[in-house]
Amino acid sequence: MSYPLDRIRNFAIIAHIDHGKSTLADRMLQRTGLVEPRTFRDQYLDRMDLERERGITIKAQAVRMPFTGADGQDYLLNLIDTPGHVDFAYEVSRAMNACEGAILLVDAAQGMQAQTIANLYVAIEAGLEVIPVLNKIDLPAARPDEIAAEIASLLGGDPDDILAVSAKTGEGVEAVLERIVERVPAPATRDDGFTRALIFDSIYDSYRGVITYVRVVDGELRPRQEIRLAATGFHNEIDELAVLSPEPRPVDRLGPGEVGFFTAAIKEVDQARVGDTVTGHADPAPDPLPGYREPTPMVFSGLYPVDSEDFPDLRDALDRLRLNDASFTFEPESSAALGFGFRCGFLGLLHMEIISERLDREYDIPLVTTAPNVGYEVDLEERTRRPGEDATIRVSNPADLPDPSRIAEIREPVVDAMIITPSAYVGTVMQLCEQRRGSLDSMDYITEERVELRYALPLAEIVFDFFDRLKSGTRGYASLDYEPSGLTVADLVRVDILLNGEPVDAFSAIVHREKAYEYGKAMVARLKELIPRQMFDVPVQAAIGAKIIARETIKARRKDVLAKCYGGDVTRKRKLLEKQKEGKRKMKAVGAVEIPQEAFVAALSVGQD
Amino acid sequence: MPAAPSPRQRAAEAPGPPVGSRAAEAPDPHAARGAGEAPAPGVYVHVPFCAHRCGYCNFAVDVGADAGLRRRYTDGVLAHLAAVAEAGPRALAPQTHHGGEAPGPGWPVLGSVFVGGGTPTLLDPGDLARLLTGLVEALPLAADAEVTVEANPETVDEASLATLAAAGCTRVSIGAQAFEPATLAFLDRRHDPEAPARAAADARRAGLASVSLDLIYGVPGQTPEQWEAGLDAALEAGVDHLSCYALTLERNTPYARAVALDGVPAPDDDVAAARMAAAGQRLRRAGLRRYEVSNWARPGHESAHNRMYWRGGDYLALGAAAHGHWQGRRWWNLRPTQRYLARVEAGQAPTGGQEILDEATRRAERLLLGLRTAEGVARAEVTPIDEEAAAALVAGGLLADDGAVLRVTEAGWALADGLAVRLLP
Ligand SMILES: Nc1nc2c(ncn2[C@@H]2O[C@H](COP(=O)(O)OP(=O)(O)OP(=O)(O)O)[C@@H](O)[C@H]2O)c(=O)[nH]1
Ligand SMILES: C[S@@+](CC[C@H](N)C(=O)[O-])C[C@H]1O[C@@H](n2cnc3c(N)ncnc32)[C@H](O)[C@@H]1O
Ligand code: SF4
Ligand SMILES: [Mg+2]
Repeated sequence: MSYPLDRIRNFAIIAHIDHGKSTLADRMLQRTGLVEPRTFRDQYLDRMDLERERGITIKAQAVRMPFTGADGQDYLLNLIDTPGHVDFAYEVSRAMNACEGAILLVDAAQGMQAQTIANLYVAIEAGLEVIPVLNKIDLPAARPDEIAAEIASLLGGDPDDILAVSAKTGEGVEAVLERIVERVPAPATRDDGFTRALIFDSIYDSYRGVITYVRVVDGELRPRQEIRLAATGFHNEIDELAVLSPEPRPVDRLGPGEVGFFTAAIKEVDQARVGDTVTGHADPAPDPLPGYREPTPMVFSGLYPVDSEDFPDLRDALDRLRLNDASFTFEPESSAALGFGFRCGFLGLLHMEIISERLDREYDIPLVTTAPNVGYEVDLEERTRRPGEDATIRVSNPADLPDPSRIAEIREPVVDAMIITPSAYVGTVMQLCEQRRGSLDSMDYITEERVELRYALPLAEIVFDFFDRLKSGTRGYASLDYEPSGLTVADLVRVDILLNGEPVDAFSAIVHREKAYEYGKAMVARLKELIPRQMFDVPVQAAIGAKIIARETIKARRKDVLAKCYGGDVTRKRKLLEKQKEGKRKMKAVGAVEIPQEAFVAALSVGQD
Repeated sequence: MPAAPSPRQRAAEAPGPPVGSRAAEAPDPHAARGAGEAPAPGVYVHVPFCAHRCGYCNFAVDVGADAGLRRRYTDGVLAHLAAVAEAGPRALAPQTHHGGEAPGPGWPVLGSVFVGGGTPTLLDPGDLARLLTGLVEALPLAADAEVTVEANPETVDEASLATLAAAGCTRVSIGAQAFEPATLAFLDRRHDPEAPARAAADARRAGLASVSLDLIYGVPGQTPEQWEAGLDAALEAGVDHLSCYALTLERNTPYARAVALDGVPAPDDDVAAARMAAAGQRLRRAGLRRYEVSNWARPGHESAHNRMYWRGGDYLALGAAAHGHWQGRRWWNLRPTQRYLARVEAGQAPTGGQEILDEATRRAERLLLGLRTAEGVARAEVTPIDEEAAAALVAGGLLADDGAVLRVTEAGWALADGLAVRLLP
């Protein structure tokens, strides 16, 4: 059935990570009778294996729920559950673009955290009606009154007006649904005769091609309709038009305000870009909807097959992964040490981990992953520019950093970071930020006990182990959110690592000059631990240019033979050696040195403080 | 098969390769064969009984068997032997699908017998002699066949060794392990430090042609001086063969548990490497030649049986838990003594498992076994190998490669397994 505009409510659930978004969505699904008890499972909308294993949401999910309000009217609610992790913040922005309202869920024990506030600002900016809701009031540690006051002081309004629920027990969920009906504005439409639908997600499916998720803004979509995608010009007939409720259910029309998906024999996600407008092919809307920027990669790392023969397979695998994840980028590169591979860009470390895990799981290609780094911009000395070379180059692989004599200026990415911490830990947090070259922008007491700090920090200083340090320094109480804020000039140098006197490009890192010495020392010590003893002595050195700044030696292995042959039991001995051989196959031979995969990400575990 | 009255007589009649008196021959007739040639097959007989289990040992060992069981075991092995001899060698090789009616080939001449343990000398000397005589009667043994019995020092005397010699034993291998009380105690050995030398002297007097001692090095707490003194003591005992084994932490042993739970030190590879190097020097000066990673001998006293293993030879397996190999088939007998006995007493094959080696596996075995030896391994037997790795190892001075044979260098002995792993394709 189709709903009149004033009966439709589109809303997202936004919150800090783990504050219970997906669990609240569960209760709503059950309350509206969409999921039978027999098929129900916790965090129903977290469908991917990785989401279920990690207990987090990675992809936003939209569901359509019919709901009969207390006023006796039938409403159509479109819910979008969003991820909380900062790497996937762009998913939240997309989701909000398809909604008129947002439930801002706050854990009543933890209170507002960095992503609560960050998401709140995004929602306000997107012009959404924000409905704050306290969650987890069943917890003994819940402090609903206090937290309600905190929220009210930030959002305005009456603390008593803030709804409190337990997504776990279902208490209070009914009231939230009523409030959505009551407060979230019905979608607006222009009614100018054109069709406009916003693409907020697209997923590749090997059977049906790209599945495009849309929110219709103006006009309507129907099966067999000739549509056109404004930005790419792609046009075709809609095959399948459906809604998720929460399982796919075909519909014969999506009208203004409605959310659903279609297929149209689209071969690549790049043809149906998120943010693009779906319009009529015969009568395209002259003014497509304002879209949004694709997120740009924040960290880069090299992916190399251990066995060079796997290179084409790796390319295929990356191509296929990208079909489903346009936020990840890759381009071929080569390394003297590792051969041919790809420089891949990710939104953050979690994103990188997820991609590597999927490669490992779905494609089973033994890989070496190099330590991640951020991307730099380098202005070249005018007189050293080669014909055809740009004045400014981008460096996403430290090995590509030009010789210092050719560099006029290096710029590194910086972020605006927001840290929320109990006031008792302000000193610790400030110290940590200073060690990481941060500069304080502001400090606000949200309440007497809770402080919001804003720092400008180099991305390279926070994207790797900063969060862990922050957590351990504040007994888990501080939270962090950040967004990119451009590039600034910095005094950076490249530290190279030499094995056996030969530089191993995959180990090079760009670090701040003042930290280079310490980094080099820590790195060679770590490599000495990680690289097993070889048949020969292997010197490990760190160098800036020609200058050696640190050195260790991995002593040759002195004994590698079993004393006995166990009488005639050759089988046992052979199996032992076959196992060793298997272990070797997982290592990368660089020159005469066998390097285990962990060593290539050693920089990640090198303490910088 | 015609019965033979005595081993010596039998040897004189044995067909096959030229045989002769050991003393008259060149010092090391087997060495002349060099890498690559098929050695004469052998027989391994396992005797699982021990008076107690040493802390480091995870061999197939039964503690606490009474005299009745030991006698029953001797009879069981003899019954097994009779069945194997009767079935002929075809029954041992990998089974081919065709044929079966035609009588198979007869037994080839066997070059060696090794009765190992456990503690074979825990059997009554008469029983052990019966075993040896039984072997000689059932199978064609070469005249110069080497017949070794492994012996714990506290379990033999001149009389018992003379009984073995009369039954055809030519060689004893005595488990000395160490010569100072502290190391023996660490190893949980029950004999006194003088016992090995006494046993070696008894063996000489009993007329055995070769006497060998086993030593263990790298025992935590043993000083370099003690190790060298132990080597001297072994040489003084007048042996012509020495096996020196690095103490190995074996799973499921009291020692492994003590390391894991009580903080008892584990053996250290660097220490072991240093002791191994010291042994190499000391024994060379004494005129012994290292012919395998853990084995040294006066010329002519190399163990033919062990050499047969390292050359990838064929051998029968008798007794519980014994391993055999015949033309690319490896098998092992059931391990618990009782299960083994139940089978052989019922006239059934006591096989516990087997594997058929494919070509690549056979090459891998040739490589890892051949690199343990001074004679090395013929390239023809192991090709293809990782040539890049070979070149690097040659350049690094660990491997010698004359284009036909690969062998470890002096510096490569202690790394032989590492070399094999790297050379595997
Ligand atoms: N006690 C209690 N636990 C809750 C409640 N709501 C959620 N949880 C638990 O909190 C944890 C996180 O819940 P999720 O629903 O996965 O949280 P989320 O906000 O979707 O997390 P992300 O998608 O990773 O950002 C789970 O262990 C839930 O069982 C509640 O009302 N009470
Ligand atoms: C199979 S044992 C039998 C020898 C005999 N029972 C004895 O102990 O005297 C043969 C030799 O293997 C060696 N051996 C056994 N276990 C060992 C271990 N864990 N590490 C090093 N050598 C070991 C000992 O030197 C022993 O003498
Ligand atoms: S006596 Fe020999 S076989 Fe028996 S337990 Fe000790 S080392 Fe092992
Ligand atoms: Mg979730």
